[in-house]
Amino acid sequence: MTFLEFASRLPGVTADLDALLRRVAQHDVDAFTAFYDNTRARVFGLVTRVLRDPGYSEETTQDVYLQVWRNASNYDPNAGSPISWLMTLAHRRAVDRVRSEQAASQRESRYGAANVDLPADRVAEAVIDLDERRQVTECLGSLTDAQRECIQLAYYDGLTYSQVSDRLSANLATIKSRMRDAIRGLRRCLGVS
Amino acid sequence: MSGGLVTEPTDSDLMTLATPYALHAVSQVEQDAIERQLADAPELVARAFTDEVRAVRETMAVVSAATAVDPPAQLRDRLLAAIDDHAPLPRLSPPQRRKWQSIALSAAAALIVGLIVVGIGWAIRPEPKPTTAEQIFTASDVRTVSGDIPTGGTATVVFSRERNAAVLVMNNVAPPEKGTVYQMWLVGADGAKSAGTMDAAAVAPSTTAVLPDLGSSKALAFTVEPGTGSTQPTTPIFAELPLT
Repeated sequence: MTFLEFASRLPGVTADLDALLRRVAQHDVDAFTAFYDNTRARVFGLVTRVLRDPGYSEETTQDVYLQVWRNASNYDPNAGSPISWLMTLAHRRAVDRVRSEQAASQRESRYGAANVDLPADRVAEAVIDLDERRQVTECLGSLTDAQRECIQLAYYDGLTYSQVSDRLSANLATIKSRMRDAIRGLRRCLGVS
Repeated sequence: MSGGLVTEPTDSDLMTLATPYALHAVSQVEQDAIERQLADAPELVARAFTDEVRAVRETMAVVSAATAVDPPAQLRDRLLAAIDDHAPLPRLSPPQRRKWQSIALSAAAALIVGLIVVGIGWAIRPEPKPTTAEQIFTASDVRTVSGDIPTGGTATVVFSRERNAAVLVMNNVAPPEKGTVYQMWLVGADGAKSAGTMDAAAVAPSTTAVLPDLGSSKALAFTVEPGTGSTQPTTPIFAELPLT
């Protein structure tokens, strides 16, 4: 059972991040610190995965949480879970940064072969349960190579689906349906409702 | 040629763009076009699009466990220093009215987090018997109520009717005067029933207590009582948390 599967049946968890965000909206530093400690590994890990540069990743992670500090009142519980709101924000920031760096340098994309290898060297001990991580890894592994490649290029490398289509010399409709099928496969495998 | 959109997407195009949009895998121009289209789309289409985006993002939020890496500790310090520079809003001071429901307590939050971690460990690795606190936190009807104590500090109750129990957290509450205790009462239609007492040593700086039998009580009330407590309240209630 994954953390979120378990957590989704546990009102306390969602309610808890919800409650923390409400306090953050009132500029409660303790609530902000608790929110950071509970989510930092997910945010920093994703940002690092996209940016692949420790300095940029720290800056961007800091930007993400400053945005949380300033805009916590924008969080709408009806639109999704707090963790989804946060990870969406973090991914947006990371992708914007990658695209502006790429535009600035005009260089060929530095990204090579698609892969979803996990950073085995540094694992977040806190908050993330190893069983949960293993399950997510297995679910990623259950996708087809073509689906995984799409997620890698679009989500972790920050390419648009048009760029993915150019990169793989596949038409746009094919890329869009691969992306959709990849997410559906993950969703089913992870039991996300 | 596989460039971006040159025209506004049709409704069915729009749906095929929900996943790329949710993954931030569209250009800024396309994103703007999608959002314009969405604003004008029939309600059903707009809702289907929003639902799909939401599902994709919830899924990727779960997937973020796979890439989690702890940031360097100094990032936390820098961040806390950075938010310190932003003029904090004045702390909510509740002189006129105490809004019990709206006040969450960081100590309680920390407790909740701690217990959730325990709860998860417990879910994955079955352990013989969950504690009362664990049972409360994993109950489907778990609720939290917080409020200020007029003389300073905060009280938070996390409770479950299903489990018929509560955890009380008192934080930074001033100790009772010498020769008196704080007494907790479960108040129901049939009057007040003692739920225990706290003396000066038990109160500061923070304390937690398990209240094992809520019965049909509607509120948890606090009074100051002489000596080691009373069988019925002898002074006016100075704080009350609704258990509804």
